[in-house]
Amino acid sequence: MIDINLKLTKKQRVLNALAGEDVDKPPVSNPTNVATVELMDYVDAPFPDACRDPELNAKLALTGHTELGFDSIAPYFSIIQESSALGCEMQWEQKDNWPTVRMGNPIWKSVSDIKIPSGFLEHSDNVAITRSITILKDEVKDDVAILGKTMGPWTLAYHVFGVEPFLLLSIDDPEETKKILRKLKEITILFGQAQIDSGADVLVVPDHATGDLVSGKYYDDFLLEIHQELVEDLKVPLILHICGRTVDRMPSIAKTGMAAFHFDSKNLPSEAMEAVGEGIRLVGNINNPETLYSKGPEDVRQEVYRALDSGVQLIAPECAIPLKTKIENLLAIPDAVNEWVSNKFQS
Amino acid sequence: MIKHEGLKEEFKYVTKPDEQEHIGGLFANGDMLMQEIAYNLITGQNDQVGILVKKALEEDYSANIVLDDGLIAGMAIVGVKFRDNIIFVPEVLISARAMKAGMEHIEPILSASGVEPIGTVIMGTVKGDLHDIGKNLCIMMLRGGGFSVHDLGVDTKPDEFIDAVMEHDAAIVGMSALLTTTMPNMGTTIEAFEDAGMREEVKIMVGGAPVTQEFADEMGADAYGANAVDCVQRAKDLATSNK
Repeated sequence: MIDINLKLTKKQRVLNALAGEDVDKPPVSNPTNVATVELMDYVDAPFPDACRDPELNAKLALTGHTELGFDSIAPYFSIIQESSALGCEMQWEQKDNWPTVRMGNPIWKSVSDIKIPSGFLEHSDNVAITRSITILKDEVKDDVAILGKTMGPWTLAYHVFGVEPFLLLSIDDPEETKKILRKLKEITILFGQAQIDSGADVLVVPDHATGDLVSGKYYDDFLLEIHQELVEDLKVPLILHICGRTVDRMPSIAKTGMAAFHFDSKNLPSEAMEAVGEGIRLVGNINNPETLYSKGPEDVRQEVYRALDSGVQLIAPECAIPLKTKIENLLAIPDAVNEWVSNKFQS
Repeated sequence: MIKHEGLKEEFKYVTKPDEQEHIGGLFANGDMLMQEIAYNLITGQNDQVGILVKKALEEDYSANIVLDDGLIAGMAIVGVKFRDNIIFVPEVLISARAMKAGMEHIEPILSASGVEPIGTVIMGTVKGDLHDIGKNLCIMMLRGGGFSVHDLGVDTKPDEFIDAVMEHDAAIVGMSALLTTTMPNMGTTIEAFEDAGMREEVKIMVGGAPVTQEFADEMGADAYGANAVDCVQRAKDLATSNK
């Protein structure tokens, strides 16, 4: 561990970086999951129980700060809590895999089917997150940034309509698709606000309009305006997360007004920085399957340096990490940031 | 020779000389009805494709000609546009739907005629993974490319792959994964084939958004497909190497 002179709390470091303000060092953040099987065993909080029980959830989430040394903690490990509360069929899996929505059996077919169940926020899978945030807030006070997460309407649409039917509808009936997204946005706001009320400092909004599935024009046509509205509706800094190749839509994402964009290693940090300009901060983009999962700390260090040298403002794994990722590789992220900062001050 | 004006425009997206030669060759006889079918498939007009294929069969075009010069020729351009990021998954899905509308008229004839497929492929998303859109696109392209494909769906256990290979006497297995947590199950499945003493009998190809050539090599796969078009080429390579 390299000793550097730090002036900011972890929370303030994250908030400053998201606001584009000065920081004592670039924060290490986790807009998506960094809990591993090793950490689950360490605090005896395994998946899927840790996704569904607030106490276990908080125990596991806290390890992002206590064991990994990240500047933020994120209690929403997967992307399925709201969908479970909406009534989607779930596959909860075991501790070495993420719970998933059975999207092959969608619950809705048209906009008229969309109904937010009464007691949606009181559903145990939503309470697991909101209650956990309250527990974490009591624990870390204002020292560590708490990142909540609320699914964007595009991702919710995959869950409740099925990926293939929804993408077909987007071509067959774009107006119906837009109505669906507007209606689902209400769920994004509802669950997001509940997390803010519980103590979340920041909200991550995953909305998987990825270049692996749809064009950049789709982002403009269907989502840009909705994402701009989310900034008006949810009064904390928002981090948009979209996996995969996204550089073609980054100039539009930079116009959302969101605080940051969490980007994938399929986009080079330098090209991403160029694409967004001054419009939005970037969080990312340490590769998961090849680097964090399969390689060693030195490879992680090189990727952290590449992101920092390119100007990426917050360092993080590109997406939810493979659950069997070695802890030493995750520890290498904050270590590399500290080393980079130390070298910078010396030079 | 391409006479159809819309198809001429679509063919402009084919820029590699070898692909221009191959796909251009599929339209070489200049048959307007086949070109009409191909164009409507590319633009996702499923009702129109169904009507035109039926018409062609009624006019005594052979099922093979309609399949090769109409549907597969159109799908070849769709594949190029998809690979080159000119179109994305929704646009491919509507072309796939149009292909299906045409195949409904052609498949019964081909089945009755006993035409042999290029090979038999078992496809599935690996255990613990419920994502299937990439796999489904691959299956559609493989069928269009002349393969017989058995789809095991999602969350496929190693034993299910093995049982399917034995049941259908398949020489190729294709595995897909979207999650980084389930990618290692590709390796587990390959090990299961080794444990069953069947590894030498099957060629195994893998793919999925987070999967790379490097990962495929580590898992011991025989081939990696970066996208649905690539998947068909890899399957053809593997089918050839099996002979």
